[in-house]
This record gives sequence, structure tokens and C-alpha cells, in this order.
Amino acid sequence: MSTALPATRSLALPMARSVALPIALLVAWQIAGTASGNPRTPVPTKVLAAALQLVESGELPLALLQSLGRVFVGFAIAAALAIPLGLAMGAFARVERNVDPLVESFRPIAAIAILPLAILWLGTGTPAAILIVAYAAFFPIVVNTVAGAKRINPTFLRAAATMGLSRLTTMRTVIVPGALPAIGVGLRIAMGVAWTAIVAAELAVGAKAGGGGSGGIGQMMFIFYAYSIELNRIVVCMIAVGLVALALDRVLRAALRWAMPWTR
Amino acid sequence: MTPGSPSDRFGTALAYVRTMAVFVVAWWALAAWISNPALLPTPLAVVKAFAELAGDLELFQHAGISLARMLLSLALATLLAVPLGLAMGLSRALDDLVDPVIEILRPISGIAWIPLALFILGVGNALPVFIMTYAAFFPILLGTVAGVRSVDRRLIDAARTMGVPRGRIVARVVVPAALPSLLVALRLGVASSWTAVVAAELIGAPSGLGYAIEWYRELLLTPQVMSFIAMIGLLGYLLDRALRAMAQRFIPWAGEARLS
Amino acid sequence: MSGRVKLRLDNVGKRFDAGSTVAVQDVTLDVVQGEFLVIVGPSGCGKTTLLNVLAGLESPTMGTVSIDARPIRGPGPERGVMFQDYALFPWQTVWGNIAFGLRHGPAGDGLDDAGIEARVRATIDLVGLAGSERKYPHQLSGGMRQRVALARLIASEPEVLLMDEPLAALDAQTRIILQEELLRIWGQDRPAAERRTVVFITHAIDEAVFLADRVAVMTSHPGRLKAVIDVPLPRPRNDATRALPETQSLAQNIWGLIRDEAYRATVT
Repeated sequence: MSTALPATRSLALPMARSVALPIALLVAWQIAGTASGNPRTPVPTKVLAAALQLVESGELPLALLQSLGRVFVGFAIAAALAIPLGLAMGAFARVERNVDPLVESFRPIAAIAILPLAILWLGTGTPAAILIVAYAAFFPIVVNTVAGAKRINPTFLRAAATMGLSRLTTMRTVIVPGALPAIGVGLRIAMGVAWTAIVAAELAVGAKAGGGGSGGIGQMMFIFYAYSIELNRIVVCMIAVGLVALALDRVLRAALRWAMPWTR
Repeated sequence: MTPGSPSDRFGTALAYVRTMAVFVVAWWALAAWISNPALLPTPLAVVKAFAELAGDLELFQHAGISLARMLLSLALATLLAVPLGLAMGLSRALDDLVDPVIEILRPISGIAWIPLALFILGVGNALPVFIMTYAAFFPILLGTVAGVRSVDRRLIDAARTMGVPRGRIVARVVVPAALPSLLVALRLGVASSWTAVVAAELIGAPSGLGYAIEWYRELLLTPQVMSFIAMIGLLGYLLDRALRAMAQRFIPWAGEARLS
Repeated sequence: MSGRVKLRLDNVGKRFDAGSTVAVQDVTLDVVQGEFLVIVGPSGCGKTTLLNVLAGLESPTMGTVSIDARPIRGPGPERGVMFQDYALFPWQTVWGNIAFGLRHGPAGDGLDDAGIEARVRATIDLVGLAGSERKYPHQLSGGMRQRVALARLIASEPEVLLMDEPLAALDAQTRIILQEELLRIWGQDRPAAERRTVVFITHAIDEAVFLADRVAVMTSHPGRLKAVIDVPLPRPRNDATRALPETQSLAQNIWGLIRDEAYRATVT
């Protein structure tokens, strides 16, 4: 029952296996879609055509940029708040004791549940979207930063103490680098959550609040559903959402590897 | 002060009460200063609204509906994901075949499916359940695969040296050994689908907590909106607690797994 | 050491990583029925690989390995294994762990429930675990876990016992006590004909000399059998045995054989 790969495998076979099922499914989808007779049914060929059209007209890139802009701003705000707070909580038990009740009380409340409040306070535009993203990204970063700061090997801390380092210096030279991998994990999770949150928020705003000036990929998806019933275009948006999620993760991972050369 | 001792637990409880008290006071001050109950109601107003909604059972009706949907979704996702995850974890060939599809679909969050699903299923019960099942499926699947893969090789070897046949090894060694990871995967699945419930119900359901939030927002009855939001948070917390308690009860030998 | 050959390793070699790593090479060794054979050597000499080959968990890339002149093709209950970290099933109680091989493997084929229960009970009494039947492994000390692993092994009544550094995780005092327990359970107080064959791996030379009828000394890079030393110390062995001058000189002898290598391993 060894799950080890036999050493004699060539490269071609695993690659063929990788694409086998996806291609088979695509073909099946195409056949089933065209056979259904309903011209509205999305099929791969039409989706591709719609994708090209949306990219060419600039609608898709524009919507994605709008959404991405909101994600980056919200993410940056969340990180700027959560990392220092998490480090403080992880390093100083008193801080954790006093702040943790708030964090743990709000953590189970998903960002999208806050959306109606955000709209109430900030309207249906970008500020509300940024608030949602920041809220969503905040918790994974905090939780993981705390865990990272706590997990620092106490022997390192003792070594720092015997070397006579001040608390601040210890924080800077021992705790922060030690917690970086965990912070990285938190950032990656938060990025995924933030992206999902922005799509959900834009979708909800598009659906319920009359749209307004919200824009973004989420709203575009809803418009295709509600107003033009362009299912192929919806599928294009879904794929775009997926691709961007992947790209964001890759970029973030690369950035983290660059920032932490010792983890390579 | 030793962690977990009665005096420490009391200290933590005290800190909890103190922090929440500070929070409530700050909230009150802000609400009084803004003086607009639709924008920021006082804590008292929210508590009253909560009590009212609980009293006429509306709170529990919606909560019950959302919970029921979540449990159904969880059951469906588990039924689909666990056997597949077991098979993928045990067979490299199957994993190589199926994993690309999983990796392509996974980044497309359940929420991105809402417009398409709305078109196919319309507004109603099926939509939230579909979205939530989809959302729970991936964490449970990936957690199961990881759990199977992380089973200590030596345990399987030990069974082999006892002459236990392969099928029995899967049932009697791999599954029990992977159980702690499976439970962590389930907790992640619950968290994922509970997040999705709000979005799904907000947009595509005629009932449930997400629907209620939106309904009251449109009426500008903010205390009620906040009550339902609090309910969402409370239930999310209780669900996770319940799963952890189940883990303690059924898997007493596993240490507490960190859910981050 | 004379007697019927139980296990035979003939020119056994094992390579990993598509041939780039040689774990063991040219190992030819006969294990006599009823003997307690200890394999000793520095890290990386392939002792665990040899054990895995005997257990059937791995197959040799060169040479043959056989039991009672039959080739070994895979693992089986007649060659029971005790692993370095015990590999106890955490979800099973002590009783459940010991009964596992009987309930789910061929060793229990002739037994009904009552038979299994009797066998498990007898094993528990033999290794000294009475009273702990309902405990889980995480509730046991290291010494207790070792006993459970041993009990699980012998409940299936294997013909050969293969042990991979079973006492390595224990503190020095527990080790000494369990070495004697091991010999007792193996049957050093009984006539030679009633004893099972044991192949035992260890780092510790004093442990090897105390336990063994013969000591196989291996060297590393690549793993090779350097020498096989007879240990004619009288049985039953106990604390008095440890103090004998012969014991010391045997240990020195063996150390002399691997000393250089052991030193080199610390500086590379």
C-alpha cells in the first residue's frame, strides 16, 4: 500500500492524467449543453466567445480592477490593524485577556452579515465594500498572528532575556521574525476570505440595494443574471473569480517567500 | 496562576465581562452622540428588539430554518466528500485524476455560483442548500484527504505484519486513525457553509436569518438587524463548540487540534 | 551456535531512490531457530532496512530472504514486528490493541470469541499488564506502552519476533528492567527448544551483549555485515551477568569494531 511514486515515471504521463478529467468534463458539458436545445444554456464554446468579447470591450477588466482595488485597500487596512494587535496579544497575556473577548465574539459573525449595517452607514458604494473586506480579512490575520507569536520557542525568549535585550528589541528581533510564517498563513487565508467577501458583497448590493454606483465583478454577475439573462457571461465571471483567487494566492505566496528567505 | 485552574478561569471570565462592559459603554456613548436610532441604536434598543423577536418566536423560526438548511447541507457534503476523500487519499492514481478538477472548482467560491444557481433553481430552499453544500464540500474533502495521508505509516505496517487484509486495514486502521483530522475538516466545513448561509439567504431565499437581516434593513429597523446578526454569531459559535464537544466525546485520545 | 536455520538472508542488498542510495549490501546471515540475535551498528548502517526486509515490508533489490527455506514475499503474523515507537492504535484500549491481530488477522482464524479472550488474558498476565486492560495508550507510561506492543506481538504467537529498537524511547532505569522482562517473556528460564526466534535491533552495545546469543555487527556507508560475535554468557541473565568481566570484554570488542565509524558520523 505504498503511496510513493515509482521513480521511473516520465513527465508526460502525469500531465496527461492531470488534464484528462477536466477535458472530458468540458466535452461532456458541451455535448449536454447543445443537446438540450435551449439556446440560453451555457456551453464552453459560447463561454469562450463571451469571455473574449467581455475582455475586448473592457467590461471584464474594469470590473475586476474595481473589485481588486477594494480588496487591496481593505486587506491593507486589516493587516495594518491585525498584525500589531495580534503580536501584542501573543506577546503580552494581559493584552490578550482584555481584547480576546471582543475578537472571539465577532469572529463567528461573517463579513457578509455585516453588509446591511455597512450599507446603512456608508451607502452602497466603495467605502462599504472596503469595510466589509477589512472586517473579513481582520480575523484570520489576528488569529494566526496570535498563534504565531505564542508559538515562539520559549527557549529563544529566555536566550534573549539572558542577552539583556529590552522588551521592544525582543519583539522586533525575536518575536516578529519567529511569527512571520504564521502571519503569512493568516495573510493567505485572509486574502481568500477577502476576495470571497467582496464578490459576495457586490453581488448582494447588486441584488438588493438597487446597485447604485457599486460596480465590481459581483455586481456585474448579478446584472447578467437579472437584466440580460446572459448565462454564458455569468460563467465567464465565475471563471474570472476563480482565476483571480488563484492568482492572488500565487502572488501572495511568492511575496511571502521573498520576505522570508529562510523558509524556502 | 496556572492555566485552567479555577482562579485562572475566574480571571478570564472577569476580563470577559470587563471588556464587554467597556464595549457596551463605548457603544452607548457613541449612540447617544449620533442620536439617530436608525443609524446606531442604543444597546438597550437592541436588547429590547432581541427580546421581542425571541418572545414572539420569530427569531427562532428564522434561526431554525437556517440551521436546518445548514445541517442538511453538511450531511450532503459529508456524504459526498468523505468517501471521495478516503478514496483519493488511498489511491494516488485517483487523486491524480480528480484533483485537477477539484483545484479548478475550489477557487470559485460557493457565492460566485449564486447567480447561475438562482437561474436554475430560483428563489427558495434549494438555493441556500446548494450553495452551502458546495461551500462545505471542499474543506471536508481536502481535510479528509489530508487526514488519510497523515495516518502514521507505522500503524498500517503494524496491521500488515499481523496479516490483516487490505480492506480490513482501511476500515479498521485508516478510518479510525484519520478520525481526528476528519472532525477538524468537518468544523471547517461548518464554518464555511455557515458563512455562505447568510449570503445565500440574503439574495436567494424567502426565509432564514440572512433573509431576516435584509428584510429589516429595508425597513430601517436597525435594532432588529443587529439582533439577527448577533444570532448568527451566537449560533456559529455554538455549532463549533458542539462539534468540539463531540470530538472530545468520541475521540478522547486525540489532542485538541488548533483551528486557525 | 548450532541448530536449524530459521531465517536466511542470502546476499541481500537494498537500494532506494532509483538506485542512488544503497542501504545495505551483500548481507548473508543465518538466524538459528530459537536464538536471540541482536543486530548492532551506527546510524545509517541499514539495520532497520534489514528488519523491514525480514518482516516483508520491503523486498530486497538483490539477493533472497527466506523463512524455513520458503521465500518471504510479504508481511505476515508468523513474523511479528515490534516497532520503534510501538505503533499502538490510539483508538483502541490495551485489550483492543492486543486482540487486534486475533480479531482481524489470520492468527485468530482457529479461535472463537472465548478462545481469543483466553489468549489475550494469558498474554496480558504474561507481560504484566493486568489491571490496565481498559486504558488507552495515551494514558500509559512509556514502559507500559512497550509492554502492550510486546503483548500485541506475541498474542498472535509468531514464530519469529522482529524488534526495532523497542527500548530506545525509555529512560535508562526502565530500560534495564524491561531488558530482563523481555528475556523472561522470551523464555530464558525455559529450555532452548521452547524459545522463539528473535531478531533485535539496538544502538546500545551493553544492551546487545546482555540480551543476545549472537551479535551481528554492521557498518555503514554502505550498510554491510562486519562480524558476527558469539555471546556465550550463561543464561538466565540478570544483574550479576552485567558485572561479569566477560560481559565487559565482549562489549569492548564490539565497540572496537564500530568505534571509528561512530566517530566519523559525528563530524560529518
